[in-house]
Amino acid sequence: MKILFTKKQIFSLAGVLFMLIVWKILALHFNSDFILPHPEKTLVTTIKLFADGNFLLIVGTTILRGIVGFVISGFLGILLGILAGISPNFNAFLRPILVTVRSIPVVALILLALIWFNPGLVPVFIGFLTMFPFICTNVIDGIRSVDPELIQMSNFYRVNHSKIVREVYIPAIMPFIVSGASSALGIGWRAIIIGEVLSQPRYGIGTVMQSAQTFLNVDAVIAWTIIAVVISYAFEKVIRWGEHRIVVWRF
Amino acid sequence: MVLQIKSLNKKYEEISLYQDFSITFEEGTITCILGPSGCGKTTLLNMIGRTVLPDGGTFDGFNGKVLSYIFQEPRLLPWKTVKENIEFVLGDSINADERKALVDQFIKLVELDNFANYYPAKLSGGMRQRVSIARAFAYKSDIILMDEPLKGLDIKLKLNLIKTFAKLWKADKRTVIFVTHDIDEALLLGNEIIVLSQAPVQIETRVRVDVPVENRSIDSTTLKDIKQHLLETLGKE
Repeated sequence: MKILFTKKQIFSLAGVLFMLIVWKILALHFNSDFILPHPEKTLVTTIKLFADGNFLLIVGTTILRGIVGFVISGFLGILLGILAGISPNFNAFLRPILVTVRSIPVVALILLALIWFNPGLVPVFIGFLTMFPFICTNVIDGIRSVDPELIQMSNFYRVNHSKIVREVYIPAIMPFIVSGASSALGIGWRAIIIGEVLSQPRYGIGTVMQSAQTFLNVDAVIAWTIIAVVISYAFEKVIRWGEHRIVVWRF
Repeated sequence: MVLQIKSLNKKYEEISLYQDFSITFEEGTITCILGPSGCGKTTLLNMIGRTVLPDGGTFDGFNGKVLSYIFQEPRLLPWKTVKENIEFVLGDSINADERKALVDQFIKLVELDNFANYYPAKLSGGMRQRVSIARAFAYKSDIILMDEPLKGLDIKLKLNLIKTFAKLWKADKRTVIFVTHDIDEALLLGNEIIVLSQAPVQIETRVRVDVPVENRSIDSTTLKDIKQHLLETLGKE
Protein backbone atom coordinates (compact mmCIF):
# COMPACT_ATOMS: atom_id res chain seq x y z
CA MET A 1 0.00 0.00 0.00
CA LYS A 2 1.19 3.46 -0.79
CA ILE A 3 1.73 5.62 2.28
CA LEU A 4 -0.24 8.83 1.82
CA PHE A 5 0.83 10.55 5.02
CA THR A 6 3.73 10.09 7.40
CA LYS A 7 3.01 9.56 11.07
CA LYS A 8 4.06 13.12 11.86
CA GLN A 9 1.73 14.53 9.21
CA ILE A 10 -1.16 12.53 10.65
CA PHE A 11 -0.53 14.09 14.07
CA SER A 12 -0.35 17.56 12.53
CA LEU A 13 -3.63 16.96 10.75
CA ALA A 14 -5.11 15.81 14.05
CA GLY A 15 -4.01 19.14 15.57
CA VAL A 16 -5.80 21.08 12.85
CA LEU A 17 -8.86 18.90 13.26
CA PHE A 18 -8.82 19.49 17.01
CA MET A 19 -8.94 23.27 16.48
CA LEU A 20 -11.88 22.89 14.09
CA ILE A 21 -13.76 20.68 16.55
CA VAL A 22 -13.27 23.13 19.42
CA TRP A 23 -14.41 25.92 17.11
CA LYS A 24 -17.51 23.96 16.08
CA ILE A 25 -18.41 23.16 19.71
CA LEU A 26 -18.04 26.83 20.70
CA ALA A 27 -20.09 27.92 17.67
CA LEU A 28 -22.84 25.49 18.65
CA HIS A 29 -22.70 26.76 22.21
CA PHE A 30 -23.01 30.47 21.34
CA ASN A 31 -25.27 29.77 18.40
CA SER A 32 -24.88 33.29 17.00
CA ASP A 33 -23.13 34.44 13.85
CA PHE A 34 -22.41 37.75 15.57
CA ILE A 35 -20.28 36.04 18.22
CA LEU A 36 -18.77 33.00 16.53
CA PRO A 37 -19.94 31.79 13.12
CA HIS A 38 -19.74 28.08 12.27
CA PRO A 39 -16.54 26.86 10.61
CA GLU A 40 -18.31 25.76 7.43
CA LYS A 41 -19.99 29.17 7.05
CA THR A 42 -16.62 30.84 7.54
CA LEU A 43 -15.14 28.57 4.90
CA VAL A 44 -17.79 29.67 2.44
CA THR A 45 -17.10 33.31 3.33
CA THR A 46 -13.37 32.72 2.80
CA ILE A 47 -13.97 31.24 -0.64
CA LYS A 48 -16.29 34.13 -1.50
CA LEU A 49 -13.51 36.56 -0.62
CA PHE A 50 -11.47 35.23 -3.54
CA ALA A 51 -14.25 36.30 -5.86
CA ASP A 52 -14.21 39.83 -4.49
CA GLY A 53 -12.96 42.22 -7.19
CA ASN A 54 -10.53 43.86 -4.81
CA PHE A 55 -9.21 40.66 -3.28
CA LEU A 56 -5.88 40.63 -5.11
CA LEU A 57 -5.40 44.33 -4.54
CA ILE A 58 -6.05 43.97 -0.80
CA VAL A 59 -3.86 40.90 -0.31
CA GLY A 60 -1.24 42.19 -2.74
CA THR A 61 -0.91 45.52 -0.94
CA THR A 62 -0.44 43.85 2.43
CA ILE A 63 2.13 41.42 1.01
CA LEU A 64 3.93 44.30 -0.69
CA ARG A 65 4.10 46.17 2.63
CA GLY A 66 5.47 43.04 4.27
CA ILE A 67 8.09 42.56 1.57
CA VAL A 68 9.19 46.20 1.57
CA GLY A 69 9.47 46.23 5.38
CA PHE A 70 11.29 42.93 5.31
CA VAL A 71 13.75 43.95 2.61
CA ILE A 72 14.64 47.19 4.40
CA SER A 73 15.01 45.33 7.71
CA GLY A 74 17.05 42.62 6.03
CA PHE A 75 19.38 45.06 4.32
CA LEU A 76 19.97 47.26 7.36
CA GLY A 77 19.92 44.32 9.77
CA ILE A 78 22.59 42.41 7.89
CA LEU A 79 24.74 45.49 7.27
CA LEU A 80 24.62 46.83 10.83
CA GLY A 81 24.74 43.29 12.25
CA ILE A 82 27.99 42.54 10.44
CA LEU A 83 29.52 45.84 11.60
CA ALA A 84 28.43 45.22 15.19
CA GLY A 85 29.61 41.62 15.04
CA ILE A 86 33.06 42.70 13.94
CA SER A 87 33.44 45.87 16.03
CA PRO A 88 32.76 45.60 19.77
CA ASN A 89 32.47 49.38 20.02
CA PHE A 90 29.80 49.61 17.36
CA ASN A 91 28.05 46.70 19.05
CA ALA A 92 28.04 48.60 22.36
CA PHE A 93 26.57 51.58 20.50
CA LEU A 94 23.89 49.53 18.77
CA ARG A 95 22.78 47.36 21.72
CA PRO A 96 20.73 49.98 23.60
CA ILE A 97 19.05 51.02 20.36
CA LEU A 98 18.03 47.46 19.57
CA VAL A 99 16.85 46.80 23.13
CA THR A 100 14.78 50.01 23.12
CA VAL A 101 13.18 49.33 19.75
CA ARG A 102 12.33 45.79 20.80
CA SER A 103 10.82 46.86 24.13
CA ILE A 104 8.53 49.60 22.82
CA PRO A 105 4.93 48.30 22.60
CA VAL A 106 3.88 47.99 18.97
CA VAL A 107 0.77 50.08 19.67
CA ALA A 108 2.88 52.98 20.94
CA LEU A 109 4.91 52.86 17.74
CA ILE A 110 1.74 52.87 15.67
CA LEU A 111 0.30 55.87 17.51
CA LEU A 112 3.47 57.80 16.84
CA ALA A 113 3.72 56.59 13.26
CA LEU A 114 0.14 57.74 12.64
CA ILE A 115 1.27 61.25 13.46
CA TRP A 116 4.40 61.07 11.31
CA PHE A 117 3.44 59.12 8.19
CA ASN A 118 0.59 58.69 5.75
CA PRO A 119 -1.64 55.66 6.45
CA GLY A 120 -0.10 53.46 3.74
CA LEU A 121 3.40 53.85 5.16
CA VAL A 122 2.53 53.26 8.82
CA PRO A 123 2.37 49.44 8.51
CA VAL A 124 5.65 49.36 6.58
CA PHE A 125 7.34 51.43 9.26
CA ILE A 126 5.92 49.21 12.01
CA GLY A 127 6.95 46.10 10.08
CA PHE A 128 10.46 47.45 9.74
CA LEU A 129 10.79 48.33 13.43
CA THR A 130 9.58 44.91 14.56
CA MET A 131 11.63 42.88 12.09
CA PHE A 132 14.89 44.82 12.06
CA PRO A 133 16.01 43.99 15.64
CA PHE A 134 15.44 40.26 15.07
CA ILE A 135 17.53 40.10 11.94
CA CYS A 136 20.22 42.39 13.31
CA THR A 137 20.58 40.46 16.60
CA ASN A 138 20.78 37.16 14.75
CA VAL A 139 23.45 38.45 12.40
CA ILE A 140 25.50 39.70 15.38
CA ASP A 141 25.20 36.28 17.03
CA GLY A 142 26.13 34.67 13.72
CA ILE A 143 29.31 36.72 13.37
CA ARG A 144 30.20 35.91 16.97
CA SER A 145 29.79 32.21 16.25
CA VAL A 146 32.35 32.23 13.43
CA ASP A 147 35.18 29.91 14.43
CA PRO A 148 38.15 32.19 15.25
CA GLU A 149 40.48 29.44 14.04
CA LEU A 150 39.05 29.79 10.53
CA ILE A 151 39.68 33.52 10.64
CA GLN A 152 43.20 32.88 11.93
CA MET A 153 43.78 30.37 9.12
CA SER A 154 42.58 32.93 6.56
CA ASN A 155 44.89 35.56 8.02
CA PHE A 156 47.82 33.15 8.07
CA TYR A 157 47.27 32.50 4.38
CA ARG A 158 47.01 36.26 3.78
CA VAL A 159 43.51 36.09 2.36
CA ASN A 160 42.35 39.70 1.93
CA HIS A 161 39.70 41.21 4.19
CA SER A 162 36.92 41.60 1.68
CA LYS A 163 37.32 37.96 0.66
CA ILE A 164 37.20 36.91 4.33
CA VAL A 165 33.94 38.83 4.77
CA ARG A 166 32.45 37.40 1.56
CA GLU A 167 33.61 33.81 1.86
CA VAL A 168 33.97 33.21 5.58
CA TYR A 169 31.69 35.56 7.53
CA ILE A 170 28.71 35.71 5.17
CA PRO A 171 28.36 31.94 4.62
CA ALA A 172 28.85 31.40 8.36
CA ILE A 173 26.00 33.74 9.22
CA MET A 174 23.60 32.46 6.54
CA PRO A 175 21.89 29.95 8.89
CA PHE A 176 21.48 32.75 11.43
CA ILE A 177 20.05 35.10 8.81
CA VAL A 178 17.55 32.45 7.79
CA SER A 179 16.36 31.79 11.33
CA GLY A 180 16.31 35.54 12.03
CA ALA A 181 14.29 36.14 8.87
CA SER A 182 11.87 33.40 9.79
CA SER A 183 11.12 34.72 13.29
CA ALA A 184 11.13 38.31 12.01
CA LEU A 185 8.50 37.56 9.39
CA GLY A 186 6.37 35.63 11.89
CA ILE A 187 6.15 38.73 14.08
CA GLY A 188 6.29 41.12 11.12
CA TRP A 189 3.03 40.02 9.48
CA ARG A 190 1.15 40.48 12.72
CA ALA A 191 2.63 43.94 13.25
CA ILE A 192 1.82 44.99 9.71
CA ILE A 193 -1.80 43.91 10.00
CA ILE A 194 -2.18 45.68 13.37
CA GLY A 195 -0.70 48.72 11.67
CA GLU A 196 -3.29 48.47 8.90
CA VAL A 197 -6.16 48.05 11.36
CA LEU A 198 -5.19 51.23 13.15
CA SER A 199 -4.01 53.38 10.27
CA GLN A 200 -6.74 52.36 7.80
CA PRO A 201 -4.87 52.68 4.52
CA ARG A 202 -7.02 52.42 1.39
CA TYR A 203 -6.17 48.75 0.78
CA GLY A 204 -4.92 46.13 3.19
CA ILE A 205 -6.03 43.04 5.09
CA GLY A 206 -6.08 45.03 8.33
CA THR A 207 -8.32 47.66 6.73
CA VAL A 208 -10.95 45.15 5.62
CA MET A 209 -10.77 43.31 8.93
CA GLN A 210 -11.50 46.55 10.76
CA SER A 211 -14.50 47.37 8.57
CA ALA A 212 -15.83 43.80 8.86
CA GLN A 213 -15.55 44.11 12.63
CA THR A 214 -17.44 47.43 12.58
CA PHE A 215 -20.34 45.73 10.80
CA LEU A 216 -20.11 42.66 13.07
CA ASN A 217 -19.22 40.46 10.09
CA VAL A 218 -17.42 38.05 12.38
CA ASP A 219 -17.14 35.41 9.65
CA ALA A 220 -15.33 37.92 7.41
CA VAL A 221 -12.96 38.85 10.25
CA ILE A 222 -12.08 35.19 10.73
CA ALA A 223 -11.89 34.58 6.96
CA TRP A 224 -9.34 37.38 6.56
CA THR A 225 -7.48 36.01 9.58
CA ILE A 226 -7.23 32.64 7.87
CA ILE A 227 -5.85 34.33 4.76
CA ALA A 228 -3.29 36.19 6.87
CA VAL A 229 -2.23 32.89 8.48
CA VAL A 230 -1.88 31.26 5.07
CA ILE A 231 0.30 34.14 3.81
CA SER A 232 2.52 33.93 6.88
CA TYR A 233 2.80 30.15 6.51
CA ALA A 234 3.62 30.42 2.80
CA PHE A 235 6.46 32.87 3.46
CA GLU A 236 7.82 30.63 6.22
CA LYS A 237 7.86 27.78 3.71
CA VAL A 238 9.65 29.93 1.12
CA ILE A 239 12.33 30.79 3.66
CA ARG A 240 12.82 27.15 4.67
CA TRP A 241 13.02 26.17 1.01
CA GLY A 242 15.60 28.90 0.48
CA GLU A 243 17.56 27.66 3.49
CA HIS A 244 18.03 24.26 1.91
CA ARG A 245 19.32 25.90 -1.26
CA ILE A 246 21.64 28.39 0.43
CA VAL A 247 22.98 26.34 3.32
CA VAL A 248 23.52 23.30 1.15
CA TRP A 249 26.69 22.21 2.95
CA ARG A 250 24.75 21.48 6.12
CA PHE A 251 22.38 18.95 4.68
CA MET B 1 70.98 28.82 3.18
CA VAL B 2 70.13 28.99 6.81
CA LEU B 3 67.28 30.62 8.67
CA GLN B 4 68.42 31.89 12.00
CA ILE B 5 66.66 33.10 15.13
CA LYS B 6 68.99 34.86 17.56
CA SER B 7 68.67 36.02 21.18
CA LEU B 8 64.96 35.36 21.29
CA ASN B 9 63.10 36.54 24.39
CA LYS B 10 59.47 35.85 25.13
CA LYS B 11 57.56 36.04 28.38
CA TYR B 12 54.14 34.59 28.79
CA GLU B 13 52.22 35.54 31.94
CA GLU B 14 55.40 36.20 33.92
CA ILE B 15 56.98 32.91 32.80
CA SER B 16 60.06 33.24 30.66
CA LEU B 17 59.38 30.87 27.77
CA TYR B 18 62.43 31.96 25.81
CA GLN B 19 65.46 33.66 27.25
CA ASP B 20 68.34 34.48 24.93
CA PHE B 21 67.35 31.49 22.79
CA SER B 22 68.90 30.84 19.38
CA ILE B 23 68.08 28.25 16.75
CA THR B 24 68.80 27.66 13.07
CA PHE B 25 66.84 25.93 10.34
CA GLU B 26 68.40 24.72 7.14
CA GLU B 27 66.41 25.71 4.07
CA GLY B 28 65.05 22.92 1.91
CA THR B 29 64.90 20.46 4.78
CA ILE B 30 62.37 19.25 7.31
CA THR B 31 63.27 20.28 10.83
CA CYS B 32 61.31 18.56 13.58
CA ILE B 33 61.03 20.22 16.93
CA LEU B 34 60.39 17.81 19.77
CA GLY B 35 59.71 18.85 23.30
CA PRO B 36 57.54 18.43 26.36
CA SER B 37 54.04 19.81 25.99
CA GLY B 38 53.61 23.36 27.20
CA CYS B 39 57.25 24.24 26.55
CA GLY B 40 56.31 26.87 24.00
CA LYS B 41 56.70 25.04 20.69
CA THR B 42 53.50 26.50 19.27
CA THR B 43 54.53 29.95 20.49
CA LEU B 44 57.77 29.55 18.53
CA LEU B 45 55.80 28.76 15.35
CA ASN B 46 53.49 31.70 16.00
CA MET B 47 56.47 34.02 16.39
CA ILE B 48 57.90 32.75 13.11
CA GLY B 49 54.47 33.35 11.55
CA ARG B 50 54.40 36.80 13.19
CA THR B 51 51.02 36.24 14.79
CA VAL B 52 52.70 36.43 18.20
CA LEU B 53 55.32 39.10 18.69
CA PRO B 54 58.56 38.27 20.51
CA ASP B 55 59.78 40.52 23.31
CA GLY B 56 63.18 40.62 21.66
CA GLY B 57 65.42 38.84 19.19
CA THR B 58 66.23 38.75 15.49
CA PHE B 59 64.83 36.55 12.73
CA ASP B 60 67.43 36.36 9.96
CA GLY B 61 66.38 35.02 6.57
CA PHE B 62 62.67 34.99 7.39
CA ASN B 63 62.01 38.40 5.89
CA GLY B 64 59.74 38.29 2.86
CA LYS B 65 59.29 34.53 3.14
CA VAL B 66 55.80 33.30 2.39
CA LEU B 67 54.45 30.78 4.90
CA SER B 68 51.85 28.08 4.73
CA TYR B 69 50.41 26.13 7.62
CA ILE B 70 49.19 22.74 8.61
CA PHE B 71 47.36 23.01 11.90
CA GLN B 72 46.43 20.43 14.46
CA GLU B 73 42.83 20.63 13.23
CA PRO B 74 42.34 20.78 9.45
CA ARG B 75 40.60 24.19 9.67
CA LEU B 76 38.56 23.78 6.51
CA LEU B 77 35.64 26.05 5.67
CA PRO B 78 32.56 23.82 6.12
CA TRP B 79 30.65 25.59 3.32
CA LYS B 80 33.37 25.00 0.76
CA THR B 81 34.14 21.76 -1.02
CA VAL B 82 37.59 20.17 -0.97
CA LYS B 83 38.41 21.96 -4.21
CA GLU B 84 37.06 25.32 -3.07
CA ASN B 85 38.89 25.09 0.24
CA ILE B 86 42.23 24.85 -1.54
CA GLU B 87 41.27 27.54 -4.05
CA PHE B 88 40.27 29.83 -1.19
CA VAL B 89 43.87 30.44 -0.04
CA LEU B 90 45.42 30.65 -3.50
CA GLY B 91 44.55 34.28 -4.05
CA ASP B 92 44.07 36.17 -7.26
CA SER B 93 47.74 36.45 -8.22
CA ILE B 94 47.45 33.40 -10.46
CA ASN B 95 44.84 33.16 -13.21
CA ALA B 96 41.80 30.93 -13.00
CA ASP B 97 43.07 28.18 -15.32
CA GLU B 98 46.36 27.91 -13.53
CA ARG B 99 44.59 27.87 -10.20
CA LYS B 100 42.29 25.10 -11.29
CA ALA B 101 45.19 23.02 -12.60
CA LEU B 102 47.12 23.53 -9.39
CA VAL B 103 44.15 22.52 -7.25
CA ASP B 104 43.51 19.41 -9.34
CA GLN B 105 47.15 18.44 -9.21
CA PHE B 106 47.32 18.57 -5.42
CA ILE B 107 43.96 16.91 -4.89
CA LYS B 108 45.29 14.06 -7.00
CA LEU B 109 48.55 13.95 -5.04
CA VAL B 110 46.69 13.49 -1.77
CA GLU B 111 44.45 10.93 -3.48
CA LEU B 112 41.20 12.78 -3.02
CA ASP B 113 40.31 13.12 -6.72
CA ASN B 114 37.03 11.29 -6.12
CA PHE B 115 36.14 13.65 -3.32
CA ALA B 116 37.02 17.00 -4.91
CA ASN B 117 33.43 18.20 -4.73
CA TYR B 118 32.67 16.89 -1.25
CA TYR B 119 31.99 19.14 1.71
CA PRO B 120 34.27 18.57 4.74
CA ALA B 121 31.36 17.23 6.79
CA LYS B 122 31.24 14.24 4.44
CA LEU B 123 34.95 13.38 4.84
CA SER B 124 36.78 11.38 7.51
CA GLY B 125 39.24 13.10 9.85
CA GLY B 126 42.22 11.74 7.93
CA MET B 127 40.83 12.92 4.61
CA ARG B 128 40.25 16.38 6.00
CA GLN B 129 43.85 16.54 7.19
CA ARG B 130 44.95 15.49 3.69
CA VAL B 131 43.05 18.45 2.28
CA SER B 132 44.88 20.66 4.74
CA ILE B 133 48.22 19.19 3.58
CA ALA B 134 47.29 19.73 -0.07
CA ARG B 135 46.30 23.31 0.74
CA ALA B 136 49.67 24.01 2.39
CA PHE B 137 51.60 22.63 -0.61
CA ALA B 138 49.40 24.19 -3.30
CA TYR B 139 49.97 27.59 -1.70
CA LYS B 140 53.16 29.06 -3.12
CA SER B 141 55.07 29.29 0.13
CA ASP B 142 58.74 29.19 1.05
CA ILE B 143 58.22 27.62 4.44
CA ILE B 144 55.57 25.23 5.73
CA LEU B 145 54.86 25.44 9.45
CA MET B 146 53.24 22.38 11.00
CA ASP B 147 51.78 22.30 14.47
CA GLU B 148 51.15 18.69 15.51
CA PRO B 149 48.96 17.90 12.50
CA LEU B 150 48.94 14.18 13.32
CA LYS B 151 47.92 14.49 16.95
CA GLY B 152 45.00 12.30 17.91
CA LEU B 153 44.99 10.21 14.71
CA ASP B 154 45.39 6.45 14.87
CA ILE B 155 48.71 4.83 13.88
CA LYS B 156 47.59 3.60 10.49
CA LEU B 157 46.22 6.98 9.51
CA LYS B 158 49.32 8.66 10.84
CA LEU B 159 51.66 6.52 8.73
CA ASN B 160 49.44 7.08 5.76
CA LEU B 161 49.56 10.86 6.14
CA ILE B 162 53.31 10.78 6.73
CA LYS B 163 53.68 8.90 3.44
CA THR B 164 51.50 11.42 1.64
CA PHE B 165 53.43 14.28 3.17
CA ALA B 166 56.81 12.78 2.21
CA LYS B 167 55.60 12.31 -1.36
CA LEU B 168 54.52 15.93 -1.69
CA TRP B 169 57.62 17.21 0.03
CA LYS B 170 59.98 15.26 -2.22
CA ALA B 171 58.62 17.07 -5.26
CA ASP B 172 59.79 20.54 -4.25
CA LYS B 173 61.80 20.14 -1.04
CA ARG B 174 60.28 23.07 0.74
CA THR B 175 61.57 24.25 4.09
CA VAL B 176 59.42 22.65 6.77
CA ILE B 177 59.33 23.39 10.48
CA PHE B 178 57.39 20.62 12.16
CA VAL B 179 56.46 20.80 15.81
CA THR B 180 55.48 17.56 17.51
CA HIS B 181 55.71 15.68 20.78
CA ASP B 182 55.74 12.28 19.07
CA ILE B 183 59.24 10.81 18.57
CA ASP B 184 58.17 8.42 15.81
CA GLU B 185 56.67 11.23 13.73
CA ALA B 186 59.92 13.16 14.07
CA LEU B 187 61.99 10.09 13.14
CA LEU B 188 59.91 9.41 10.05
CA LEU B 189 59.88 12.96 8.72
CA GLY B 190 62.76 14.97 10.10
CA ASN B 191 66.01 15.67 8.26
CA GLU B 192 66.96 17.22 11.51
CA ILE B 193 65.44 16.66 14.91
CA ILE B 194 65.81 19.25 17.63
CA VAL B 195 64.84 18.44 21.21
CA LEU B 196 63.79 21.39 23.33
CA SER B 197 63.76 21.59 27.12
CA GLN B 198 61.16 22.94 29.50
CA ALA B 199 60.88 26.73 29.77
CA PRO B 200 63.06 28.70 29.63
CA VAL B 201 63.64 26.73 26.47
CA GLN B 202 67.09 25.47 25.55
CA ILE B 203 68.17 23.08 22.81
CA GLU B 204 68.87 19.73 24.47
CA THR B 205 70.14 17.97 21.39
CA ARG B 206 70.17 18.25 17.65
CA VAL B 207 70.32 15.14 15.45
CA ARG B 208 70.67 14.73 11.69
CA VAL B 209 68.83 11.83 10.10
CA ASP B 210 70.56 10.94 6.85
CA VAL B 211 68.09 8.33 5.57
CA PRO B 212 65.96 9.80 2.70
CA VAL B 213 62.53 10.70 4.02
CA GLU B 214 60.67 8.52 1.52
CA ASN B 215 62.33 5.24 2.49
CA ARG B 216 62.35 5.29 6.22
CA SER B 217 61.18 2.50 8.43
CA ILE B 218 60.67 2.93 12.10
CA ASP B 219 62.24 -0.54 12.65
CA SER B 220 65.55 0.21 10.94
CA THR B 221 68.61 0.17 13.18
CA THR B 222 69.59 3.74 12.29
CA LEU B 223 66.26 5.11 13.41
CA LYS B 224 66.22 2.84 16.46
CA ASP B 225 69.61 4.18 17.55
CA ILE B 226 68.47 7.77 17.11
CA LYS B 227 65.26 7.01 18.96
CA GLN B 228 67.26 5.64 21.86
CA HIS B 229 69.29 8.82 21.99
CA LEU B 230 66.18 11.03 21.80
CA LEU B 231 64.44 9.04 24.52
CA GLU B 232 67.44 9.45 26.80
CA THR B 233 67.52 13.18 26.16
CA LEU B 234 63.80 13.57 26.74
CA GLY B 235 64.04 11.32 29.80
CA LYS B 236 66.39 13.76 31.47
CA GLU B 237 63.62 16.31 31.44
